[in-house]
Amino acid sequence: MSAILAADFGSIHTRLILLDVVDGGYRLIAQAQARTTAGFPYHDVGVGLRHSLQEISDVTGRKLLDDQGKILVSAEMPGSVQELAATASAGRPLRTILVGLVPEISIASGLRAAAGTYVQIVETFSLSDTRTEEEKLNAIVSSSPDLVLITGGTEHGAREPLLELAQVIHLALRLLERPRRPVILYAGNSAIAPQIREMFGDLTKVFVAPNVRPSLEDENLDGAQLQLGLAFDAFKDNRGGGYEAVGKLTRVGILPTAQGYNLMVEYLGKALGQNALAVDVGSAVSSLSTYIGGDVFTTIRTDIGQGHSAYDLLLTVGQEAIRRWLPFYITDEELVSYAHNKSLRPSTIPETLRDLYLEHAFLRAGIQELVAATRPAWEKVIQLPPGDSLPAFDPLIGAGATLTQTGSSGMTAMLMLDALQPHGMITLQTDPYGLLPALGALAHSRPDAAVQTIEESGLERLGVAFCLSGQPRAERPALDVKIITDDEQVEQRIDGGHLWVYPLSIGNEAEVEVRVLARGSSIGDRRRIKTRVEGGAAGLIFDARGRLLPLADDVRRRAMQMSTWLAEATRSTPRDIPESWLQAPDAARVAIRPGRKLRQLGESAAPADESRLDEVVNKPEEQEAESIRNALS
Amino acid sequence: MPYPEHRHMLAWTTVRRERMLPETAVGVTNVVRGKTVNLRDVVARGSVPSRFLFIDAMDVLRLRTPDELDSLIIPEIGEEVVEGQVLAGRRPDKGRRVFSPVNGIFVYAGEGRLIVQETPDVIDMEAGLVGNVVDVYPNRGVVIEAYGALVQGVWGNGKRVIGALRREPEDGLEGVFDESLEQRYSGTVLLTGRSLKAISLSVIENQGIGGVIAPSMDPTLIEQARHMQAAILLTEGFGDMSMSSRLYTMLEEFVERQVTIDAIQPDRWEDVRRPEAFINLPARSGDRPPPPRVGRPFRVGDQVRLTRAPRAGSVGEITNLPKTPQLIDNGLRVLCAQIALVTGESALVPLANLEVLGK
Repeated sequence: MSAILAADFGSIHTRLILLDVVDGGYRLIAQAQARTTAGFPYHDVGVGLRHSLQEISDVTGRKLLDDQGKILVSAEMPGSVQELAATASAGRPLRTILVGLVPEISIASGLRAAAGTYVQIVETFSLSDTRTEEEKLNAIVSSSPDLVLITGGTEHGAREPLLELAQVIHLALRLLERPRRPVILYAGNSAIAPQIREMFGDLTKVFVAPNVRPSLEDENLDGAQLQLGLAFDAFKDNRGGGYEAVGKLTRVGILPTAQGYNLMVEYLGKALGQNALAVDVGSAVSSLSTYIGGDVFTTIRTDIGQGHSAYDLLLTVGQEAIRRWLPFYITDEELVSYAHNKSLRPSTIPETLRDLYLEHAFLRAGIQELVAATRPAWEKVIQLPPGDSLPAFDPLIGAGATLTQTGSSGMTAMLMLDALQPHGMITLQTDPYGLLPALGALAHSRPDAAVQTIEESGLERLGVAFCLSGQPRAERPALDVKIITDDEQVEQRIDGGHLWVYPLSIGNEAEVEVRVLARGSSIGDRRRIKTRVEGGAAGLIFDARGRLLPLADDVRRRAMQMSTWLAEATRSTPRDIPESWLQAPDAARVAIRPGRKLRQLGESAAPADESRLDEVVNKPEEQEAESIRNALS
Repeated sequence: MPYPEHRHMLAWTTVRRERMLPETAVGVTNVVRGKTVNLRDVVARGSVPSRFLFIDAMDVLRLRTPDELDSLIIPEIGEEVVEGQVLAGRRPDKGRRVFSPVNGIFVYAGEGRLIVQETPDVIDMEAGLVGNVVDVYPNRGVVIEAYGALVQGVWGNGKRVIGALRREPEDGLEGVFDESLEQRYSGTVLLTGRSLKAISLSVIENQGIGGVIAPSMDPTLIEQARHMQAAILLTEGFGDMSMSSRLYTMLEEFVERQVTIDAIQPDRWEDVRRPEAFINLPARSGDRPPPPRVGRPFRVGDQVRLTRAPRAGSVGEITNLPKTPQLIDNGLRVLCAQIALVTGESALVPLANLEVLGK
């Protein structure tokens, strides 16, 4: 028996894949998804895992659970699955105190090391900190850290200053009760690692990693990131929710989902010899993993998410960043209420067209924020294209339910193109079942299985996008496309400002000739392309809208653009935006001004199903103000 | 088969609720397993560690080396001290001495300094339910089993209150000002079917209302609500949303009964508990109501609440569960259920937008 299971616990969904050997190599056999059950009313992630296991059992006929519901994972037991690998992004991030000598050097390296794990930096201590020892101690205690990451000192460099910084941490740990003590991860000058172990060993668990900054010129994050992964696993074990029991079934514990993405994006980039990008927009946390110029860069943001973190996303990007993706007017109050309500019921999905546009506006703005946050890191290894353009990445991989579970590949492809705005000819893929993080986790113990699976099966192929750069003139010819398949030859002229999708399905190939007609525009610096490509679930997507995307400032024009693009991407009839949505509400921008509440006095809302309560007609503002004054007197 | 989200709405059920001190608190439990507790009984008492204060004893006592301090310390480490109490000195009654600057615990002496941790406020954890203690976590709290009506909401302002349930006046919460018997609402829990506005919060505060069960609230009032004494429980969300008529009708039946509002604030990282209202009801002999039903996939016949527009707040029953994803009005293709609404209407609703009521 050679079967392997890999699970990824997200905030909303638990995704599970079953791999097994077929024709001498590992292949994806089955996949399942269930609700994550870390919270109410189950408080045990094992319940959701069993739900997914049952689903895979039903599909494959394999027995993955015994009669008592115990998960059958054993290298020795005949008939059981050989190994379980697991990753998680669900739950609270590690509250982390970062200690280093110099903000620009060791602290900066510490931050980059932490970027691959779900951490929240709650305090930073360095030599430039002017707080008294008493203030530092109280800051440590009140921040309730789970982890202290100590960096600093190059190899053969400073020792005493770092030990002095560590003293206040030591004092804090002595004063905290044992269950409240954070674990220590030391990744500084290796010469004092024994002293750090001695200082903290009796108080808490100590992880030691190679120095993240062995010299001023060099940075070495791999060891610290691996130890952070182990610290994350230990943290998960202690937080309850059933992670400990699942972790015991694995070889290396439960690793951070983003680390899995990192490993696999690096593998894909190296294997293809190209820059690669994977964006995972979760409910509570989102991450962007890129392989570019031979380096891997990760951005994890706990303030970007489509569900639990929707309101934080709104605060982070601002209301205008959302509004620019909406084909209608919206008041501040409606927008803020939407974000709060999504945070309260994070697993819900939009049912109305208006809510769909809102959901996708949050998605696009969130991805754009992730890209903007990662750009400074890319700048270190390549010369970035001018403006806010995305560097050349191929493939682009999307993950997260909002992006991958639209039920329409064309819609998903359009969302990726809108949010990332790539140039050139790019393969678009999605990872709806969390294959990449699962394989990343598996890569530690079974690299052969991870590599064979990703090469032979795995990601869902949306198709190939041909993206026009520059600003082609709207409604003027921008691209001439000729497509030759086994069955037909199609010629299409595409005007500027439009998308066109040719439905070439997965496994089918076509000769494609593209000629750029628009002045000053190109597809990846080329005006003519002749190539043979494979299709995908969406097909071949020709994006002649230009870069950056010419989103109209005027709501009415934007409504026309967005409904047209959605229809073109999904090959459906455009859905008109209702006229009432396009009327600028005079009160829209007044919603958060003082005085708005006065106008709301007397407004009432009846119970949902019947008018139980009387409607009260709004009174003139002065009368209302008078009513309040009377009432409060 | 997909499993549902739960938000319970049950007129007669058994609940088990933890009554725990905060995670950071140090405390003791006051009851034993099997004990019957009443609403106001204190089941655990504790305190949350507070500020540490450093005292440079070497400087005050004019010592030459830190070691000299060891023999001059008077209280034991861990001992409670009061403000002005002598912590160190050659004699406790005269000469150079170190005094405690606050009431607290003497926690540390070393390197020539003393550390006192200020005494925190005491937390009394009330039972909040009439029921039996079925589990005890030493130094943390208890689990209580109780019978009654349960309504889980979506948001709370972090407060807990026990009070008699009253219906709001005919003209709304704001009408409390015009009542000649204003006092009749003081300390009670008001049920309103309307969204809370700024004026509503002013009324709640000024009239000493103990708590409110409301469908929704203007989101700009969140911070204000968090700082109020009264407990606020929202059943639907933010904005101008109405309360499900079925829920309103159910709660109306319990007017004048004691209700416990546990208006916990949702934590985006850990969905451990739901804000809720619980109304204790007497159990007849041997009549133990069933606990909320959890742990099974969606089924035809399940009572559900719809959570998204255009039917947010409506309640209905599942009549069909198509096995394949269905195309809904906005173009998404997702797993859905056919719902018979109480209005007689039938609707195809994404499974993700259904919450089972627990029956």
